[in-house]
Amino acid sequence: MSFQIPIGPQHPALKEPISLRMTVEGEVITGADIRLGYNHRGIEKLAEERNWTQIIYLVERICGICSHSHATCYVQGVEKLMELVPPRRGMYIRYLVAELERVHSHLLWLGVAGHEAGFDSFFMYTWRDREIVMDLLEMISGNRVHYAINTIGGVRRDIDEGQKAKILEGVAILKKRSEYYFHIGASEPSFVGRIAGVGMLSKEQAIALCAVGPTARASGWDRDVRKEDPYAVYDELDFEVATADSCDVLGRVVVRVKELLESYKMIEQMVKGLPDGDIVVKAPRKAKAGEVVSRYEAPRGENIHYIKANGTDKPERLKVRAPTLGNYPATLVMLNKGFIADIPLIFAAIDPCICCAERAVTLVSARSGEESVVTMGDLRRQALARSKNAPVKGNAVWPF
Amino acid sequence: MTDAELIEKLKADLGDRVEIANPARRRLFLKVAPEHLVAVVTRLRDAFGLVFLSTISGVDFGATFEIIYHFSTPEHDYNLRTEIPKDRPHVDSITPVIPGAILYEREIQDMFGIVVDGIPDGRRLVLPDDWPEGQFPLRKDWTFVRPEEVIPGGKS
Amino acid sequence: MLNKLARWSRIKSPWILHLNSGACNACDIEIVAALTPRFDVERFGILLKATPRHADVIIASGPVTRQMRDRIIRIYEQTPDPKFVIAVGACAMAGCVYRGAYNIMGGIDQVIPVNMYVPGCPARPDAIVDGVVKLLGKL
Repeated sequence: MSFQIPIGPQHPALKEPISLRMTVEGEVITGADIRLGYNHRGIEKLAEERNWTQIIYLVERICGICSHSHATCYVQGVEKLMELVPPRRGMYIRYLVAELERVHSHLLWLGVAGHEAGFDSFFMYTWRDREIVMDLLEMISGNRVHYAINTIGGVRRDIDEGQKAKILEGVAILKKRSEYYFHIGASEPSFVGRIAGVGMLSKEQAIALCAVGPTARASGWDRDVRKEDPYAVYDELDFEVATADSCDVLGRVVVRVKELLESYKMIEQMVKGLPDGDIVVKAPRKAKAGEVVSRYEAPRGENIHYIKANGTDKPERLKVRAPTLGNYPATLVMLNKGFIADIPLIFAAIDPCICCAERAVTLVSARSGEESVVTMGDLRRQALARSKNAPVKGNAVWPF
Repeated sequence: MTDAELIEKLKADLGDRVEIANPARRRLFLKVAPEHLVAVVTRLRDAFGLVFLSTISGVDFGATFEIIYHFSTPEHDYNLRTEIPKDRPHVDSITPVIPGAILYEREIQDMFGIVVDGIPDGRRLVLPDDWPEGQFPLRKDWTFVRPEEVIPGGKS
Repeated sequence: MLNKLARWSRIKSPWILHLNSGACNACDIEIVAALTPRFDVERFGILLKATPRHADVIIASGPVTRQMRDRIIRIYEQTPDPKFVIAVGACAMAGCVYRGAYNIMGGIDQVIPVNMYVPGCPARPDAIVDGVVKLLGKL
């Protein structure tokens, strides 16, 4: 007997309006589809009527969690169009904030993953640590989110010695705490057993469906824009690309945790090696006609902006493709043949930033057309009940 | 492989089906006619390892649309562009070659009104359900007049 | 007598429904951050509830997109009386940077009546808690 289950758009599990509808036979999902649109705000059309500086503020608000990555990707592109080279100190500050944002985003995600797997204390711990990063960002830029520290030609605010010392202090605390979380992961077999083997995506599938970010890296495909297309300071820093081979949600957790450690390393290198000098060069009002493709490694994957200028102070075309959109086809494949109880976990594992993709999701597949409504809260309760009784997967090991 | 060597290889392989520009380090812009699009993408995937598509952009030039396919490999970025007339906006789907292109093709269908032939699932992607047919927001000649806003408390 | 008891419990421990209508997520993360150990609204008895039928207060964020408009009205009608609506963030107040877009209607007050506005982009968790407490003080 197959049912069609609609979930959303208003529901308690995710913080964004999404509408899921999938066809199930018993407990197994047999099909999924996509319908987007709840979050579409028409930003690309708005951008054609604003000048280069105003668009920084518009593009920042595409997403609240990765706002700096959109702003930086855009500003990088415009600087190439205007043939500006920002001073080194400005670039170091810009990418320092970028790595701090990566830390805050991964800690946020770890909390959400713990919450979806039923591990609520983990959620509280990681969000408490996230407050350390938010305080550092507020100290540098003045706001907890939407830092607005970028401007065309550099950054707007400088950091002084006291702030540098505070950043290093904060990162040292976070490193100790993050290592504690790894021990939790290693010694908590129910957590590892809950997430191992869920949401499988083989390497061939990841390549064929053009997956991005930690989702692709957890399937063993090591693409990272910071290594391939090193913009600005990344070719001077020493770091590794984090990959995992298990192709499931456990692999994605491991990749993000490894990236946290790499980010701490990078932040320390950047703070200790901060060059002296100016932080900004003056930018012209108009940009010469031309086009540029700007890519950036946001916490969720590759962010790409295509900007076309026509010689005036407004762009001809701004195209934004945020990373989560690139992961949707892969998500459908992961959900197929999965269990209903795993839906919140699989969906959360791609780290969906639905507002980034400017849309929401309806997963639909029609077989018999019958409908029954299930809320996400019910799904999560079912999931927890199921995992309590399931035998612990003995061979699921924390690969650290 | 440096940019110059790659351009030589591409010219030797694809002949005069593409025109290549190299405006910046690592960035290649290839121009191809719409009827050769799928053949060129297939050849690039098989011989040059181009499997990763970042996105598909559309630009409205007035009388024509330009569609740009942004690919990348670890060493270079390839941006493949093609131009189609506005009064007959048809382009072939590349999903048989690159299955991950499906969502981006649906998006340009919604936003520009470009018809992608052979797309496996051509439903609406981003616009809401009650959006009127035939209105394509990203076309240059499409403008929007906002209705009067209601100010609670009575003043308008 | 029963009325007084009900009113006291509503003021002392309001249950909240979180509604996101097309926002960029920053305000929503700040609302969830209000539950975390640093700001900890649960010590005031404020609980984040799953369904509109249990809620006293709707906390709404985001500019209203065309697709979400009917859903917002439906959720408002499903919430039992007496109910209050708090609009959090500049988007929910008047649309923020998205004013003029073709898919945006403006603030939440274009669709449902709002009792309290909390400004900010995004509104800080302390400001959100302050807004809820002030609203309850007026009852």
